[in-house]
Amino acid sequence: FSNSRVETPTLPTRQERQKCWEARDAYFACLDGVGVVMAGTEGKACSAGNLVYHKTCAQSWITYFNERRKLGFQQKDMASQANSQNKR
Amino acid sequence: VFTPTSAAIFIATGIGLLFYFRHEKAKVIEQQEKDRASKAYGRPLVGGPFSLTTQTGEPYTEQNLLGKWSLVYFGFTNCPDICPAELDKMGLILDAAEKEHGKIFNPVFVSVDPARDSPSRIAVYLKDFHPAFTGIVGSYQAVKAMCKAYRVYFSTPPDAKPEDDYLVDHSIFVYLMDPKGQFVEAFGQVATIDDMLEKMRVEISTWKSETGTTA
Repeated sequence: FSNSRVETPTLPTRQERQKCWEARDAYFACLDGVGVVMAGTEGKACSAGNLVYHKTCAQSWITYFNERRKLGFQQKDMASQANSQNKR
Repeated sequence: VFTPTSAAIFIATGIGLLFYFRHEKAKVIEQQEKDRASKAYGRPLVGGPFSLTTQTGEPYTEQNLLGKWSLVYFGFTNCPDICPAELDKMGLILDAAEKEHGKIFNPVFVSVDPARDSPSRIAVYLKDFHPAFTGIVGSYQAVKAMCKAYRVYFSTPPDAKPEDDYLVDHSIFVYLMDPKGQFVEAFGQVATIDDMLEKMRVEISTWKSETGTTA
């Protein structure tokens, strides 16, 4: 098993992963600030953060992180709904 | 009609059955004790033969797991955060466990991304993690066979291209295998370093009392 043809997309090192996570966290913090959950629905806000995010992270990672953010909020919603139901 | 004879037969049968059941019950209990003593029950069928290639191009099979306690993790180099976190966790565990028991451990990283993860790529990737790691890669069929043996789910399609940008969905476990290459435990993401060290401590101690050595 050895493929010497197309060179695969650059392998992110530990530092590159770290940079991507930091860009993601900064962008998500900005989204929190404008009360937006779904990345991409914030209009003109956070565009600088979004740019850095897209520069430092692969698209598949961006899709994955954004989806996880959405699921995280949905789970929080369900948990707080369950809590308030239990209190009755 | 309830005659004395039939009454006698009835009682005799009753007593006979009583002794029969007592005898059978004693047999069952004895068998259970035997099973418990040999630990022959409750071992899930995880693991088995496989054949892949290391980051230095050497062949690597289930034979290479013998003689040490192996920690096997399935992942891929293009993983956004979970694989690096699990590999870091394994690194910390190795440091602590080696201090406690000596160099009797064998950490293995198995790639479930045959289209992109070559031996050289996995070699570069593992430079960021504990130096003892062996990384193994293989063809789609070889990876699929090993995942089947280890009951690992992975989502890589057989026709993925190396230049594609995709993530691989996969089971997230660190598998502890004993020096005979047999499955001991699967640690999930929520397993803490202390949990895992404690489990390893118990297993190594049991192994030592049965075999006289720690590996």
